[in-house]
Amino acid sequence: MAIIVNLDIMLAKRKMKLKDLSEAVGVSTVNLSILKQSKVKAIRFSTLNSICEVLDCQPGDILEYVANEI
Amino acid sequence: MLLPISLLALFIFNLLVRKSVHFKAYFTSPYNIFTSKVRSEISFSISNELMFDKVIEVLSESQFTLVNENRENLSLFATAKISWLSWGENLYIHFEDQKEGSILKFCSASLFQIYSWGKNQRNFQTLIEEIEESLTV
Repeated sequence: MAIIVNLDIMLAKRKMKLKDLSEAVGVSTVNLSILKQSKVKAIRFSTLNSICEVLDCQPGDILEYVANEI
Repeated sequence: MLLPISLLALFIFNLLVRKSVHFKAYFTSPYNIFTSKVRSEISFSISNELMFDKVIEVLSESQFTLVNENRENLSLFATAKISWLSWGENLYIHFEDQKEGSILKFCSASLFQIYSWGKNQRNFQTLIEEIEESLTV
């Protein structure tokens, strides 16, 4: 997949656990785990907004585009 | 006279043992002609442990009722409600490992019907649609 989710990196930088983020954002740990693995189908702006608010970061810190190698 | 009584007794037996996970083999057996069954499978790129939790989450928010979960062998047992088309169905879900992700194996068995009027197939479609929908976070 070309979009990489760097949620685990941001969590490590903020020294925060996935469970704590889940409680703060209101998204289940299962969904955040799937998001962390870049396996979700889509992410809502409201979810992205909440994550950025809690982690005090920009969407670009969480999402990264990596061009597929041919 | 004996046949209707036997059928009634069998129907009551099915109702009584419906929610027992120990009767999975009975309801899903190809030799049990009184229950119509649909088996399907679908693969996901998500690990089976994570998919197991995901489906529990989906089932708890769906029209189905989760009856039993077995984390050791990654299997779930849920039931579908009685409707004017059926006496309800038993849903057996099992996860298997694959190279990159997991395979969800599904079996919907109607309670005491030779023909399910498409309910078994609809149960599978409903579950898959709800899983796909829940993958938007």
